[in-house]
Amino acid sequence: MEAGRPGPWTLTLPLALAYLAFFAAPLLMLFAVSFYADERMTRWGLDQWQRFLFDAFHWKVIVDTLLLGLKAVAATLLVGFPLALIYRAASPGWQRVLLFIVVLPLLTSVVVRTFAWIVILGREGVVNRLVLDLGLAAEPLRLLQTELGLVIALTQIEMPLLLLPLLSVMSRIDPNLLDASSSLGASRWRTLFRVLLPLSVPGLVAGCSLVFASATTAFISQGVIGGGRLVYLPSMIWQQAMVVAHWPFAATAAIALLVSVLLVIAVFGAIGRVIGGRLHG
Amino acid sequence: MTAFTPTRRAALMGAAVLAMPSVARAQRRGSVAAAIYPGSWEEAFREIVAPPLLRTHNVELEMQPLFAVDQIAKFAGTRGAPPFDAFVLDPGPRITGIDRGMYERFDASKLTTRAQLPAGMVDEWGVGCAAQVVGIAYNPRKVPRPTGYADLFRDPWVSRLGITGFGTTFGTVSLIEIAKIFGGSQTNIEPALAELKKVLPRIAAVGAPAAMPGLFQQGQCDVMYTNTQTVTTLKDRGVDIEFAAPSTGASAFFTTLHIAKGSTNIENTYKYIDTVVSAGVQRALMAAPFNFVPVNSTVPLGAGLPMRSLDEMARFNRHDWSVINPLRAGWIERFNREMAR
Repeated sequence: MEAGRPGPWTLTLPLALAYLAFFAAPLLMLFAVSFYADERMTRWGLDQWQRFLFDAFHWKVIVDTLLLGLKAVAATLLVGFPLALIYRAASPGWQRVLLFIVVLPLLTSVVVRTFAWIVILGREGVVNRLVLDLGLAAEPLRLLQTELGLVIALTQIEMPLLLLPLLSVMSRIDPNLLDASSSLGASRWRTLFRVLLPLSVPGLVAGCSLVFASATTAFISQGVIGGGRLVYLPSMIWQQAMVVAHWPFAATAAIALLVSVLLVIAVFGAIGRVIGGRLHG
Repeated sequence: MTAFTPTRRAALMGAAVLAMPSVARAQRRGSVAAAIYPGSWEEAFREIVAPPLLRTHNVELEMQPLFAVDQIAKFAGTRGAPPFDAFVLDPGPRITGIDRGMYERFDASKLTTRAQLPAGMVDEWGVGCAAQVVGIAYNPRKVPRPTGYADLFRDPWVSRLGITGFGTTFGTVSLIEIAKIFGGSQTNIEPALAELKKVLPRIAAVGAPAAMPGLFQQGQCDVMYTNTQTVTTLKDRGVDIEFAAPSTGASAFFTTLHIAKGSTNIENTYKYIDTVVSAGVQRALMAAPFNFVPVNSTVPLGAGLPMRSLDEMARFNRHDWSVINPLRAGWIERFNREMAR
């Protein structure tokens, strides 16, 4: 390298500065705000942390939020993994069609998708009309304002986040490995569980992490489809920040959400590393 | 005769001469930076307030879409250099602003429309720009007309009831009125929560405020407490919905405009406020699709409103937000806890 000439690392400077200014700095400010003792932010103290941590209701909200994320991950996996297998087996033409269908939800606003689910799951919605017309129930089913309805909606809303990394990883798996497994006498199921699934783990971990992070923070879907009886951390943060204007408490709850979501994602990562280690070790 | 040869200097001078009237006009043109609620308010003010403000006063309206709490927070964050000239606020944040000294004293004599505004609409801190009337909305094809809030806890209404918490002004005043009929008061909402808890398993929906119109439209609930603006808007969209003033009285409150403390653009801000409350603008804001309740007494009220004149609003239930504000955060948390599954 010529003396005085900037190295290639300088190319990362704009992004690094933007990251520092618009992510790291606000995050530090969020931490700082949580240590104000009062809502007018006039003195420092641990009051908000005490208020948050020593209240069983807040722990219930954290657990409910994380459970919602896990249920959404389970449901997207259940539907998404078979879809990924179909994608893998499809011809290139069909793969393009499937990929378009997978990406389609990302092309519409999350608000539109969420409100569309009111039309589908509502008392007079598509599902209930079908159920009543077929005589499967005498009364409309209660799907909206339930966790079941919310998980169903989140499964569709978050599906692309699971599938895009999963399809990317699965398409890179060497087909010779599957052929080798079959020629060595393994059944299709055995090949699936012993070869394809373990090799898909990096995509699954990435997809599950994205779905989990997105589902636990899906403020609009949680509020609109879940309703007021299902209390999750994002709505609590919004209420404290926007309605009550109690920024220190909102910041405390936001950090609790950030930390708890990151912990679960770290567990996903650890599981992925363990499985990956077994595979390669 | 010497032929005229266009040079760059001549062309520039010509352009300058031609541009002079518009430059002069632009120099005279003022502007006002007004905070405005995002969504329909922003749309309404862009469509209905901005053109007459420019036409009549040559003042351009620069809107800053901000919710009430954001306006308070943004003003507090800019210490002494207000980010906008005018606030628009509901009663709760309005009181917060007064407590924190965020407004210039308001001189109503500067409004040409002063005589058209009912008594009590203007005070030393600002002026009402839209009224909100809160009562019960119901679907007349599904449930009979409820006579009051007590009906909401009985059949056939209770199983079709949609409720929302203390997150909005209309939700807060409705729950206070419910508390009152069960022995509570403006400062004691416990009876409302106790009664709601009793019927909670039968209630059709406990929704986020923004989701309530959609839930009603989709038949998830057929009766809810809300304001007349929501009722009129849904009705305009063909939804079967009617407004019922409760037997204990509808509730009313005003959205108000205030001049930001330290604004250096006070004259134009008065012109803006004067335009907003003028008869023509108020009449246009009252029409579909915006359905505001006007504050100018010369504007005839729409058929969907539970009063024929603004003076009748004096009979409506009003609430003291200086008392409510300090309690509201606790109420929101109580509602969350009591309603949570």
